[in-house]
Amino acid sequence: MREGVGIWRCKACGTTVFPQRLLCPQCHGHAFDEARVTEGVVEEVAVIRHMIGQENWQPRRIANVRTHGGQSITVGLRDESGPGTVVELTQEEGAPFGRAKGR
Amino acid sequence: MTVDSVLYTGRRGTLHSAAIIGVGQSAYTRRPAPGQSTHTFIRDAVVAALADAGVDARDVQGMAVASFSLAPDTAVDLAWKLGLSLRWLLQDTNGGSSAMNMLGHALRGVDSGAADVILVIGGDATGLAGYGRIASNYNIATRDHLAPLGHGGPNGVYALVASRQIKAFGLEKSDYGHIAIAQRAWAAKNPFAVYRTPLTMAEYLAAPMVADPLSRFDCVPVVAGAQAIVLAHSDRAPRGRAGVRVRAHRASFNYDNQAGDGLKTGISTFAAELWQAAGVAPGDIDVASIYDDYPTMVLAQLDDLGMVADHDLARFCRRDIGEQRRPINTHGGMMSAGQPGGPAGGLNGISEAVLQLQHRAGERQVAGARLAVATGYGMTMYRYGGTAAAAVLERVE
Repeated sequence: MREGVGIWRCKACGTTVFPQRLLCPQCHGHAFDEARVTEGVVEEVAVIRHMIGQENWQPRRIANVRTHGGQSITVGLRDESGPGTVVELTQEEGAPFGRAKGR
Repeated sequence: MTVDSVLYTGRRGTLHSAAIIGVGQSAYTRRPAPGQSTHTFIRDAVVAALADAGVDARDVQGMAVASFSLAPDTAVDLAWKLGLSLRWLLQDTNGGSSAMNMLGHALRGVDSGAADVILVIGGDATGLAGYGRIASNYNIATRDHLAPLGHGGPNGVYALVASRQIKAFGLEKSDYGHIAIAQRAWAAKNPFAVYRTPLTMAEYLAAPMVADPLSRFDCVPVVAGAQAIVLAHSDRAPRGRAGVRVRAHRASFNYDNQAGDGLKTGISTFAAELWQAAGVAPGDIDVASIYDDYPTMVLAQLDDLGMVADHDLARFCRRDIGEQRRPINTHGGMMSAGQPGGPAGGLNGISEAVLQLQHRAGERQVAGARLAVATGYGMTMYRYGGTAAAAVLERVE
């Protein structure tokens, strides 16, 4: 698990993107720096109560989070955070997760 | 103005000589029987469509196919197995807008003389477990960034979009219910629909949540099945049957780089041009087939098309849908008829528009239907769908 979520900032125009792209969607520059965003605000939450094709599924919570860098990313929630909650972001493999800040 | 004086495709002024001259489908089923496969459902749809068009398989010169479960076969393998020797071939990978996308290519294929008769096919028999695997591996972004969260496939993605739409437009849960209930009422008149039992608002609201705020009747049911349509020059249409031509067709791919909120679709980028090219207005439409993987996206597409007065989605649900003022998804939509993969689901909507315009829709016929609009929407790239397409179709006497 790594602290923060890796996003990519275009070296030419500064646009940030997640997931990674090949060219910047704004200026079509091809070089990016990786930056890490560590916090965001939960905007919407969905509780996944059923997963097609799977039995014994345990409900999970996902959320749309607007990072402090302005990116909207989908994260798995590790707690009961709801809309408006500031969450700390982590990344496991490529997947972003979040839990309420300070808990 | 005669039909033939209309310039159908707008800016280039090209007349579509092509028409949809036949439609066909296989049975739809939630659970395929032993021996049934994507290929056998496709065969059944092709046989039905060719019979409907009155076309001999030996006259088919072109074929387009979209399927999530054809692999490892590709389009040419399907042509081989169907015994079709072709000079025009396409395999489309644009999910829920594949059907509409293939329609556009096939129109141009016939118009240009590349092929005189083109079959357009969509079908899938993934099974529920197979669909689950597809949903978790839809693209690299999904595989790497969403599936590890347990995001629930598209249900989870569109649950978040639905929450945004509810907030942005002041919707209530029951507003989505009006769509599900109206489509189920249409499905009751469609012998091919998987779910035909009428649905009440109380039943809708009591249904278990799948991915809050989406409950069972908000989520399109995965089925096995296939659809096919036949395109050719309009003079090949069966005698005594009204032809169906496409007045305008437009498509959009990756319209916003996933930088928006998903409450608009790619249709918003071309709707004005679509209507202008078609020479008609949203209010002229008699029947609409709107790609309906979720009620949320039905509303988004209708709004993008300019068919929702004042962008008031709540009023539209309660009045236009709830009071049955608008014939939308008269086959029941995928939400009641079933979704045999996005491609075939989109073809079902196109086929229904054709049947309505030919006045062959049986109990569900919309009286005097002359103009229809059909859409496709799909490819959930990360936060929402990135492809969309639409066509305005007309009855030609």
